[in-house]
Amino acid sequence: MKPSDSVNKNTAAAGEKALVVQDLVKIYKDASSPALSGLNIAVHTGEIFGLLGPNGAGKTTAISILSTLLRPTRGSVCICGIDALKHPGRVKGLIGLVPQNIALYSGLTARENLRYFGKICGLKGDALDDRVQACLELAGLGNKADQRVSTYSGGMKRRANLAVGIINNPRLLFLDEPTVGIDAQSRNMILEKLSLLKDNGTTLIYTTHYMDEAEQLCERIAIMDEGRIIAEGTPKTLIDRPPGHSSLGGLFLALTGKDLRD
Amino acid sequence: MNRMYKTAATILKELLLLSRDRTGLLVLFVMPALLVLVMTLVQENVLKTMGESNTRLLLIDNDRQQVGQTIEKKLLESGAIEIIKSINGKDVDEKKALERILKGDFQLCVIIPEGTTKAVKTRARQVVRESLAMPEMPTEGSDRERDITVYFDPTVFGGFRSAVLSSLELVIVGIELNEKMNVLSELLPEHINGTIRKAMGPMLPESFVSDMPGMRLDFGRDRLLRVAERSASKFYLEKKPTSVQQNVPAWALFGIFFIAVPMAGALIKERHDETLARLLTLPVSFLSVMIGKIIAYVLVCLTQLGLIVFIGKVVLPLLGTPVLEMGSDPTAVIVIALSAILAATGFGILLGTAAGTYEQASMVGPISIVIAAALGGIMVPVYAMPKIMQAISVYSPLAWGHDAFLEIFVRGGSIRTVSGDIIALLSFFVATVLIAWMWFFLRRRDGL
Repeated sequence: MKPSDSVNKNTAAAGEKALVVQDLVKIYKDASSPALSGLNIAVHTGEIFGLLGPNGAGKTTAISILSTLLRPTRGSVCICGIDALKHPGRVKGLIGLVPQNIALYSGLTARENLRYFGKICGLKGDALDDRVQACLELAGLGNKADQRVSTYSGGMKRRANLAVGIINNPRLLFLDEPTVGIDAQSRNMILEKLSLLKDNGTTLIYTTHYMDEAEQLCERIAIMDEGRIIAEGTPKTLIDRPPGHSSLGGLFLALTGKDLRD
Repeated sequence: MNRMYKTAATILKELLLLSRDRTGLLVLFVMPALLVLVMTLVQENVLKTMGESNTRLLLIDNDRQQVGQTIEKKLLESGAIEIIKSINGKDVDEKKALERILKGDFQLCVIIPEGTTKAVKTRARQVVRESLAMPEMPTEGSDRERDITVYFDPTVFGGFRSAVLSSLELVIVGIELNEKMNVLSELLPEHINGTIRKAMGPMLPESFVSDMPGMRLDFGRDRLLRVAERSASKFYLEKKPTSVQQNVPAWALFGIFFIAVPMAGALIKERHDETLARLLTLPVSFLSVMIGKIIAYVLVCLTQLGLIVFIGKVVLPLLGTPVLEMGSDPTAVIVIALSAILAATGFGILLGTAAGTYEQASMVGPISIVIAAALGGIMVPVYAMPKIMQAISVYSPLAWGHDAFLEIFVRGGSIRTVSGDIIALLSFFVATVLIAWMWFFLRRRDGL
């Protein structure tokens, strides 16, 4: 049985909310301003939701809270109908995380990494073998599966990073800039595979600095700044917002300004 | 069951990673093995030159009579000297002896010249006759005084030289006293008889001489005073460890504690490359992951310890050191080893949690281990340290481990006698893990 199958099927039905975030606030100790100040998000099952924003906008804090890594100061997070703050253990079987860094053991091969994380998710025997093989093929690493990750190119590492993120066949997958610093071919492949995951019913929360990528992949986008959402909608409706913008990048700069955010 | 499965997966993963980490393997296996070999051999040589270890003495006895035999017997009775009289079945002359001493094969050589016994006897008779104012005896040229020559290896410490020379002097004084007593017991009745006869003249009966009471010659050996050795320090060991007993557990502990460095490095790497974040979002308890890590490092340390014990039991004796004696309580040895390993892993977890970067951990870790090792009697025995350092040494986990091992190896201790050290090591493990845990959660509260 897949880990995610334990969830009430009703909650996963089309049109249901895979993620509901209400009034999420996070104030770090000794910080002058909140990292998140009243974040509200609702993401449908099977949707690809983009979270854009300049550095320091609160994207990583939001992803950390949503993926149970960090406790908010207040607010609520509901994942597939489960209160993620009250029952983080139950939610962990439903989510996957593809961090910005290559979160793999570079001394192990891709297959060994997948087998380890698969076992950690409770997969055993044939189910483990089959899932590992499926993830390797999805990432296009079938013929390099037994090479150590340290020998991989940047693109291969990113694909392996994605493969491990989906080893438990998550219902909700968080991707934190999964295409940073890779060649166009690998990037294109990753985007294709993410679309495939969406087609299979996986909900994706996607952060990126590549506006064209967000425009191409995401069904809805939220632009964050200073811990709150300042614009939300489909890429087209956002671009068409008065006075109209040539692209998502143009809108982004218009909303967040041209000052550097270091 | 599921938790055990996930823990086993972590153990396997850690062992795989460690087996592929060449630098880590070097730190974990090669470094302590080399340290044990080098330090034991160096200390064995130092102990020899200080007379703390079994001393090899080359004896050239050209006398081959009573004096040479007595000197050999008395030196052997001391129990600390191994007497070699021939090399490869051949007698050794003075020139060859000097060559071998300079090569460091022997710490000293004693040469007893030919005719020493005869010369001693003649001189004893002369001295006694002089003291009794009896007429001098005619002497031959060969009866002149002889010198017993002692050659020392130049590296031999002054204190040891003095001790050896004093022992030899004592043996020689004993021989001389014995000879003088022999002559005295022979000449005294004759002298007294002659004096009385001279005073009493013909009134003295003829049978007087034979009625003179005899003397017990061995009364000189009866002790009137003794010196009792007592230590003022609690760190003094009644029985001192051999260089192998000192160094094998010492450097094994050093190696065990060095596991903290790769362990901390692995934890920091997991934190920085976000594998830890990934693990924390998966359906596994952090405790299972940490237990898996600890078990993996315990297994590595036990292998490391096995290697070092093998060196002490097999390799070092081949290089001329005593074999490693480990006492008669193997259970205690295993419990001490496990406690020390847990203490080391606890330190590794704390280091890996508290250090911000691998550079910090790789700087702070080894330095703190070296300091703890120096304080713990790993490099210099605690009993040889100044008082203030001895007082500080009781706070070093390496000292607890080392003291416990020496208690079993050298002083015939049991698990009961080392329970204090074991409790201290386990408490250190619990304390470090708890501090690391608190540190981790405080850090998590504000983001990883």
